[in-house]
Amino acid sequence: MASGLAAPNLARAAGNNVLRFVPQANLANLDPIWTTQYVVRNGSLLIWDTLYGVNDKLEPQPQMVEGHDVSPDFTTWTFKLRERLKFHDGTPVLSRDVVASINRWMVRDAPMGVPIKKRTDALEAVDDTTFRFRLNQPYPKMLFALGKSSTPCLFIMPERIAQTDPYKQISEYIGSGPMRFRKDEWIPGSAAAFEKFAGYVPRPETASWLSGGKRINFDRIEWHILPDGGTASAALQNGEVDWWETPLSDLVPLLRKSPNLAVDIADPLGNIGSFRINHLYPPFNDVRARRAVQMALSQADYMGAVVGDDPALWKPLPGFFTPDTPLYTEVGGEPLEGKRDYEGAKKLLAEAGYKGEPIIVLVATDVQITKAQGDVTADLLKKIGMNVQYTALDWGTVGQRRAKKDPPAQGGWHIFHTWHAGADCVNPAPYTALDASGDTAWFGWPKSDAVQAQIAAWFAAPDFAAEKTAIDKLNAAAMDDVVYIPTGFFKGYQAWRKNVTGVVKAPFPVFWDVKKV
Amino acid sequence: MSATSLPAGAAAPLPDVLPPVRQRGRVMTFVVRHPTIVAGGTLVAIMVFIAVFAPFLGTVDPTALAPAKRLRVPSDTYWFGTDMLGRDIYSRVIYGTRVSLLVGFSVGILTAIIGAFIGCVSGFVRLLDAIIMRAMDGLMSIPPLLLAIALMALTRASVQNVIVAITVAEFPRVSRLVRGIVLSLREQPYVEAAVASGTRLPVIIWRHILPNTLAPLMVNATFICASAMITEAILSFIGAGTPPIIPSWGNIMAEGRALWQVKFYIVFFPAVFLSITVLAVNMLGDGLRDALDPRLAKRL
Amino acid sequence: MFAFAIRRVLSTIPVMLIVALFVFSLLYIAPGDPAAIIAGDQATPADVERIRISLGLDRPYLVRFGDWLWHILHGDLGTSIFTNLPVTHMIAQRIEPTLSLMLMTVVFAIVIAIPLGVMAAWKHGTWIDRAVMVFCVLGFSVPVFVVGYLLAYIFALQLDWLPVQGFTPIEDGFWPFLQGLILPTVALGLIYVALLARITRATMLDVLGQDYVRTAKAKGVGQRQMLFVHALKNAAVPIITVIGNGVALLIGGAVVTESVFAIPGLGRLTVDAILRRDYPVIQGVVLLFSLTYVLVNLAVDLLYTVFDPRIRY
Repeated sequence: MASGLAAPNLARAAGNNVLRFVPQANLANLDPIWTTQYVVRNGSLLIWDTLYGVNDKLEPQPQMVEGHDVSPDFTTWTFKLRERLKFHDGTPVLSRDVVASINRWMVRDAPMGVPIKKRTDALEAVDDTTFRFRLNQPYPKMLFALGKSSTPCLFIMPERIAQTDPYKQISEYIGSGPMRFRKDEWIPGSAAAFEKFAGYVPRPETASWLSGGKRINFDRIEWHILPDGGTASAALQNGEVDWWETPLSDLVPLLRKSPNLAVDIADPLGNIGSFRINHLYPPFNDVRARRAVQMALSQADYMGAVVGDDPALWKPLPGFFTPDTPLYTEVGGEPLEGKRDYEGAKKLLAEAGYKGEPIIVLVATDVQITKAQGDVTADLLKKIGMNVQYTALDWGTVGQRRAKKDPPAQGGWHIFHTWHAGADCVNPAPYTALDASGDTAWFGWPKSDAVQAQIAAWFAAPDFAAEKTAIDKLNAAAMDDVVYIPTGFFKGYQAWRKNVTGVVKAPFPVFWDVKKV
Repeated sequence: MSATSLPAGAAAPLPDVLPPVRQRGRVMTFVVRHPTIVAGGTLVAIMVFIAVFAPFLGTVDPTALAPAKRLRVPSDTYWFGTDMLGRDIYSRVIYGTRVSLLVGFSVGILTAIIGAFIGCVSGFVRLLDAIIMRAMDGLMSIPPLLLAIALMALTRASVQNVIVAITVAEFPRVSRLVRGIVLSLREQPYVEAAVASGTRLPVIIWRHILPNTLAPLMVNATFICASAMITEAILSFIGAGTPPIIPSWGNIMAEGRALWQVKFYIVFFPAVFLSITVLAVNMLGDGLRDALDPRLAKRL
Repeated sequence: MFAFAIRRVLSTIPVMLIVALFVFSLLYIAPGDPAAIIAGDQATPADVERIRISLGLDRPYLVRFGDWLWHILHGDLGTSIFTNLPVTHMIAQRIEPTLSLMLMTVVFAIVIAIPLGVMAAWKHGTWIDRAVMVFCVLGFSVPVFVVGYLLAYIFALQLDWLPVQGFTPIEDGFWPFLQGLILPTVALGLIYVALLARITRATMLDVLGQDYVRTAKAKGVGQRQMLFVHALKNAAVPIITVIGNGVALLIGGAVVTESVFAIPGLGRLTVDAILRRDYPVIQGVVLLFSLTYVLVNLAVDLLYTVFDPRIRY
């Protein structure tokens, strides 16, 4: 770094015990049960701890729990907490905190929490460190539910905070995780800070994703919110920040040229782009209208817009599951393959009764992935003769507005875009977005009995062959009913300064075992 | 004067002492005397031409996506290159001229009309004067960009709403200007005479007041036009202006801002066009002001 | 003089009332129902109605305005719809960077523009004059963010003299504080310099042609002294008027500059708030900036009497 001024820029040389991180989006709120936005979960991973945590093979490992006991029919689960777990305010972590946290989480987690709640006869604190589930039906995947990384994650909060209505946001951020949240330094839209919690006792094992010992090598971790990709890129090159979660793929060649920076694929499990449809209101409450969009949608267009020109960064995805995983399937994916049919789409739309009403497309213009998809959607809908109302918002507002079940013209929506981490789409267990239970489903509220039947079949499958059959049928059913439209499979990069070691590939930024030299 | 028709006894005409002055054409005189008007006016005319004849200037559909051809550098096929969705930047910039000129001219004209109306009402109707001027003072106390931003927050993004928002932010100053003129003219003898002789108010305004406001209004309108174009660009840049699907210079720059280090041409071309247009309108305004009334230099 | 000052100060009150009325009406006519937002997504219509009554949203316009005004005067600007933090808290967090930026820009602009304008007037008709005029018109015409990106590219990335983004509070060191503000100040200040230099030049030209200047020249006072003391004093009134008016431009420009240089100030808060339609925050920021603008103009008006004893209100 050539320097023309004598005194080093103090703001730059922040010292090796502060990590300055640029997250994928603004941290506008911090309730990981209330919202499923990844950026909130990523921050929450520092503040709160989990009962179990998945490792890099997505296998749940005990984290806050010492051990468990399960009845042979998977209906009674007894857990024992580790000793001397403490919250940031000094109080010990007790079973009743766990019970309250689980209760709050179960209400909002459609793919696993809700079914568990339905079959729970009792969830009780047996004593201060033991708690027990008594189910009236077996649920073999309990450990995965308690330790999965897909949102909402089961974070353990103090009882008084966990008793907040699951549909309202918490206002205190006290957890038992490796770092405290500095609420007094939080400037929403600009900065957030986390401070090492001296009372955290990491597990002895090596860390792997959410499992093992979460050893933090920094006194502080600062999140610098830089929505302007050009500014973030310049700041990283200049050493003003240390790690950028989501560098634009178009800027990667430039970042690669810098001798001080390392750039690599962020997560081999990649992401699935999502064209999310509101099934409650016309025209898309009619499956024909949804199929019309499906037959005209070009994944190449979407992926080109999202990740740019490097073909190694994306794959077409005629299905809903993550490529290169055991359950990946393309059965039933024909509507997304082959030549796009605009005339057919227009015909189907007319059949479905579309008469030119404005289609409200929510576009978060401050996140590159959603803006790119939103722009392509505006073009696509125009091509099939729909009247697009492009509503430019920020990601936080999209998060709020997509939760509204109001008619589109009165504060609701028809379409929004997002993406799902590949880790969350390997099978139906963590796959919130695939659930088609109607009212309790994820935003868009798809309802499909066929899909639900196959999801149940997968959960009940006795062996891998049965699982595969269920998944194939599930894929076809979801494609047929157009639960949502996958816009393609893509990978992203992360970039960091070379003096930061320990950065691993994962579906979320892993802050433990990271060091600055 | 023919030499043959001199009356008898008249002295001989004086000899030509000074060499004959070369007659320039009237046009050239105008150009030499008012270079800024000509330069500014020509540039503005060129921009208007570009805006009106956009479809015929070698452009393609500015909203047509072609992700396979994204981020091409300027070349023979794509004169200004393509953006991150494969859209032709040359076409977008050319069509963007329409938005900027539309916003600029509309705001300039609307503020002049509304400002003139309110200024006249305020100047003549004593009762309303205090109320109106207080209201105008209040509106003027809100920095114009913030006022425009706040108004845009109330409605959907659209070109009309941007025009309305910027107009509301700018017309109070114009009304003050016109009111000042009305107040000073009201004391003039011919106006007092007109009032005394029973001429109706609208006629007085039309015949005596408005002609005197034309010059400052025109000059002011050009400056407001320039300012409106920059305000629209800023509004679009921060995402509160024209909707992103309509190509406007502000939008193009906003979309290209993240890539300014690697593909600076996305921001460069609209910036150049915007700067030149604003420059031209400012020059036109300067020239008009110097030609019509140099004393305005201190106020405007 | 004192009576005039009191009168002038008092006259800002009705103006601020108008601003308050406008700002309040903003929330009143804004679409979206604050009660529904607070009630949350799973609330029943009865819940929403209950919250609406508890917030006092069912009372008539003037009553609500009075109530709101009462809160404002007690320093309560409401709560952000989005972050649930009090608006005053959010503003307090971000005021230092914006204030620093604006003060530095005003100082920078005055220090550069006035000598520039005076010089242009002194050397009227020469290339210096033309150069200054060209610079002024250019300064008006190039958008702030373009200038910002250019400066960042040259001075931060290529030469590595200055940081690209961010803000260091003054308590963390004066030099880093200054360093972080240099580029944004220049980017933001350019248009202000252009405006000020132009008015300075025009006014100086006017003054230099006046009788008393010719008298002073005839009396043999040194040229320099004459320019700066006599002429400038008389040119002061229009110049400081423009300095006052230009603050509005600064406030607008700060919004963009903070975006480009990622300065955690009020400008960025405004941009974020508008995208989210966070009306209480928008209201608070507009009120604050308007008050600042009104106070600056008040100061300007009071300064007039210092520079020109003939002025009386």
